[in-house]
Amino acid sequence: MNRRDLLKATLAAGALAGTHGLSAPALAQGAAARTLRFVPQANLANFDPIWGTQYVVRNASAMVWDTLYGVDDQLVPQRQMVEAEEHSPDFKVWTFRLRPGLKFHDGEPVLAKDVVASLARWSVRDPMGQMIRAIQQELVAVDDRTLRWTLREGFPKMLWALGKTNTPIAFIMPERIAKTDPFQQIGEYIGSGPMRFVRDEWVPGAKAVFQRFDGYVSREGTGSWLAGPKRIMVDRVEWTVMPDPATASAALQNGEVDWWENPISDLVPVLRRNRNIMVDIADPLGNIGSFRMNHLHPPFNNVKARRAILMAMSQEDYMRALVGDDDKLWKPLPGFFTPGTPLYTEEGGDILKGPRDLDAAKKLLAESGYAGEPVTCLVAQDQPITKAQGDVTADLLKRLDMNVDFVATDWGTVGQRRAMKNPPGQGGWQVFHTWHAGADCVNPASYNAVRGTGDNAWFGWPKSEATEAAIARWFAAPDLEAEKLAIAQVNRAAMEDVVYAPTGFFLTYQGWRRNVSGIQKGPLPFFWGVSKG
Amino acid sequence: MASAHTAPLGLAPGAAAPSGPPQEVAAAAPMPDVLPAVKPRKGFVGFIRRHPTIAIGGFLLLVMLLIAVFAPYLGTVDPTALAPARRTREPSAEYWFGTDMLGRDVYSRVLYGARVSLIVGFAVALLSSVVGLAIGLVSGFVRVLDGIVMRIMDGLMSIPPILLAIALMALTRGSVRNVVIAITIAEIPRVSRLVRGVVLSLREQPYVEAAVASGTRMPVIILRHILPNTLAPITVQATYICASAMIIEAILSFIGAGTPPIIPSWGNIMAEGRALWQVKPYIVFFPAVFLSVTVLAVNLLGDGLRDALDPRMAKRL
Amino acid sequence: MLSYIVRRVLATIPVMAVVALFVFSLLYIAPGDPAAVIAGDQATPEDVERIRASLGLDRPFLIRFGEWAFRILQGDMGNSIFTNLPVTTMIAQRIEPTLSLMALTLLLAIFIAVPMGVVAAWKQGTIIDRAVMVFAVLGFSVPVFVVGYLLAYVFALELDWLPVQGYTSFSEGLWPWLENLILPAIALGGVYIALIARITRATMLEVLSQDYIRTARAKGVGQRGILFLHALKNAAVPIVTVIGIGIALLIGGAVVTESVFAIPGLGRLTVDAILRRDYPVIQGVVLLFSFIYVLVNLAIDLAYTLFDPRIRY
Repeated sequence: MNRRDLLKATLAAGALAGTHGLSAPALAQGAAARTLRFVPQANLANFDPIWGTQYVVRNASAMVWDTLYGVDDQLVPQRQMVEAEEHSPDFKVWTFRLRPGLKFHDGEPVLAKDVVASLARWSVRDPMGQMIRAIQQELVAVDDRTLRWTLREGFPKMLWALGKTNTPIAFIMPERIAKTDPFQQIGEYIGSGPMRFVRDEWVPGAKAVFQRFDGYVSREGTGSWLAGPKRIMVDRVEWTVMPDPATASAALQNGEVDWWENPISDLVPVLRRNRNIMVDIADPLGNIGSFRMNHLHPPFNNVKARRAILMAMSQEDYMRALVGDDDKLWKPLPGFFTPGTPLYTEEGGDILKGPRDLDAAKKLLAESGYAGEPVTCLVAQDQPITKAQGDVTADLLKRLDMNVDFVATDWGTVGQRRAMKNPPGQGGWQVFHTWHAGADCVNPASYNAVRGTGDNAWFGWPKSEATEAAIARWFAAPDLEAEKLAIAQVNRAAMEDVVYAPTGFFLTYQGWRRNVSGIQKGPLPFFWGVSKG
Repeated sequence: MASAHTAPLGLAPGAAAPSGPPQEVAAAAPMPDVLPAVKPRKGFVGFIRRHPTIAIGGFLLLVMLLIAVFAPYLGTVDPTALAPARRTREPSAEYWFGTDMLGRDVYSRVLYGARVSLIVGFAVALLSSVVGLAIGLVSGFVRVLDGIVMRIMDGLMSIPPILLAIALMALTRGSVRNVVIAITIAEIPRVSRLVRGVVLSLREQPYVEAAVASGTRMPVIILRHILPNTLAPITVQATYICASAMIIEAILSFIGAGTPPIIPSWGNIMAEGRALWQVKPYIVFFPAVFLSVTVLAVNLLGDGLRDALDPRMAKRL
Repeated sequence: MLSYIVRRVLATIPVMAVVALFVFSLLYIAPGDPAAVIAGDQATPEDVERIRASLGLDRPFLIRFGEWAFRILQGDMGNSIFTNLPVTTMIAQRIEPTLSLMALTLLLAIFIAVPMGVVAAWKQGTIIDRAVMVFAVLGFSVPVFVVGYLLAYVFALELDWLPVQGYTSFSEGLWPWLENLILPAIALGGVYIALIARITRATMLEVLSQDYIRTARAKGVGQRGILFLHALKNAAVPIVTVIGIGIALLIGGAVVTESVFAIPGLGRLTVDAILRRDYPVIQGVVLLFSFIYVLVNLAIDLAYTLFDPRIRY
């Protein structure tokens, strides 16, 4: 019994007198062991994983909704809700058969028409889904357990699209809910996943509660990440939102929470010193930091200015500002794809390697015609990752004798302003920061940020025909060797045209109490297989 | 809202007592247990003895001002110079207050931070006093406008000042100017209420009525009779507003709605260091001490001024 | 008397109207777009426009204000842009922690500060008096969150006497509820205690120097009796006034305290909503806080008539 319980017991004995016998917390010792208390990376403000694509929404949704397929830790899609699938040799016709006995949280069976409606909604918002939709001929439920997707062209990467971890995930919802317009939020949170969402106890910004769904039909066998039987070994999962890392750290040390999704690296030594806490890498696929430039307006509409940035920037400065002194947490990244994955390449990335040459960079910048105009940098202060990068960038640009217009604002405003194509003096921008989960940068399939389609591209609107040509070659590649060749070309082209400037590859930690077991490393926190006590 | 009986109490700290019992009582029956007497002294030392709060407060504030003005010469480096390789170093001979999470020298940032906090404090105090004075005068004299203006002021006062400031900051981007404007707007109602109270009570005075009757023009009346009487309460109120503004700026930065980090202020140094409070407490500790001392100084100054200028004001404030 | 009460109550209506108009127009002209945040990273500008239209964010000012005001009067504060939950539900979920914190802080403050002020007045000029005044001024000067972190560090982390964060509902027991609120209440109460102690001391001093006290002494009532019976009752008016005005302080400080101690209350809700530009929530909460403030001061003004029969309007 720790000191607090002793004190509590002593004082409660006195306080009991006037409290009608209400004293001890509602949960007895045994019940407490069956509740997992988790601190998520951000607030769960809304709960529609197709409409709102934040990572935190995806992470919570993975408990409540199930998918047709799920990737395992080798990034190979495995069958989840699907019992068997067939596709025509030209990859144009895909037929899926669901496992028997699948049920939603309200007791209704999962039918093919629910899947059809869910996929229809998902494909409007997801990049790969949009590609499928563009060549779609028909998506129908053949019978209660079978559905067929007929396309005009072959789409070999269908299983990947249906099982990937990149948001939005192709979650399966009841038809009535999936019929909601993809640009409006759903109102009900019923799924067929291993946990149900306890709506009555949801306090957006503070708490979200999930209860084990006993009607979940696990699939056979073993698995990892989004694949596998997804067995839940606690009764309840409580998410407590803590905006202040110091508070979360103290709570974890005190045993008031069990699992913290992303402790900041400076606090990790304190957690490590505590004999009751374990700390390890959260996601081996890590994250890629991004310094994104506006290709439409000066100075970064000139490739020389962009290259000057690559010449001058020190990925070590950025990464240290992000993850601190722990060298295990970052790697320099002379490329755009995730280290440690099959398609990783450093082709064309020499400009980011070696000692930094500030003078050469200044010369190149002058050659590009830069004459001292203000450079508007949008920096979100409420996201530690963008804030740290923004500070380093301001310093970098100053050392390049550039005139920095530092706009410190919040993530919401950055989201709005970065969509504007106006010239910087009239509400536009020249630089903003963000980051991409490593899982999203494994290949160009869901990797909007590396595309060079000009006006239709992601914010910054880079135009790089060489990159697009190489990406097309990747999509058409028949095997891994061909894919690797294509990706090397993508990397080189994207580097030469500086689609964006990667600031480095970094990892984050997760921390949990010693009495919790079964925690996996992965792109999102997986609650199956996790037990307490 | 506060009724006319006890007029605008505002956010100002409550009253302190005069330093000695009123003369009549001391001459009448001594009550040693309840009100011990204090012996007055003469001269500068006497001044300090009689008004220790002004002395201490003034002195501390002066020190802070000097620090702010002479920051570049006090052994500081560029407060925004990053050196991520040297981040979170403990205080040492090289880095007197240590370095923060981006490798910036905390000592330099704290010293330069004095500028922002003091500028915010003084600017808000000055602006809100001037605008509040104008509004209060208008409201006190022009009956027609009085009702409307006071309703608006009451409305503004009933929104908690911090929420008001945050909301105003959310409208624009962070900068010292915007922080000053946001906090000023939140503090104006109090000043205007105070001034209006003075004006209302003075307007009934015989000499004012006489002036009006003899045809003196309004601006002259205001200048000669009203204004001098408002100066004392406004000055005292202004010092409290200054202290309040500095704290509000710190809170705004804490929440992330204050001055941008490229300009160090005590508030945002603390905000940035709060995550590391347990492991590197010095990042929060030093600016906290400086802020507390400065606010303390301003509060003491305000108390002392109030005692010196007019102890009867104590109740009204 | 009755007419005074009626007039006083009616006077609050235009005040609330001003607040409503102000709050509404404030956010109407705000930049920052919740639609962009909701649309997420992968959205195109067209997607963002569609979301804006679906949320009704592009209609003219007067229409939106009129509709909004009408609905508010019916008790409907609309739905949060981000969570789609009714604002009233969100407020109802979060109001208990904030009210609990404010109530406990208020109680603590009064029970600590009033005796402090009394003692300081009694021992005026001595070291006790100075100490109390210094302590009081310190209470104003140290920022709330610094005090909060200090308390959390010492009492929760090092000594492990109290939890470091969170909130337990009263329905789960008195002690668990208290446990979570003690440290935040002390942190939040610092400023309040300082204010109340000072004004208590000041008014006590003034009252003590008045003639009728000497009369009471002459009649032979014990010293303690003098202080507490007569003086306190007369000092009640300014003290109660300060309490009323200090409610605004409490609300503002609650924002910070709730953040430090991870209390799921209205303060945090408001800050999150403001930084995310969740208009309906911001409007609802600020309106509510203002309403509370107005109500409390109304109650105090009406209570004056109990304390001091000389006040009449």
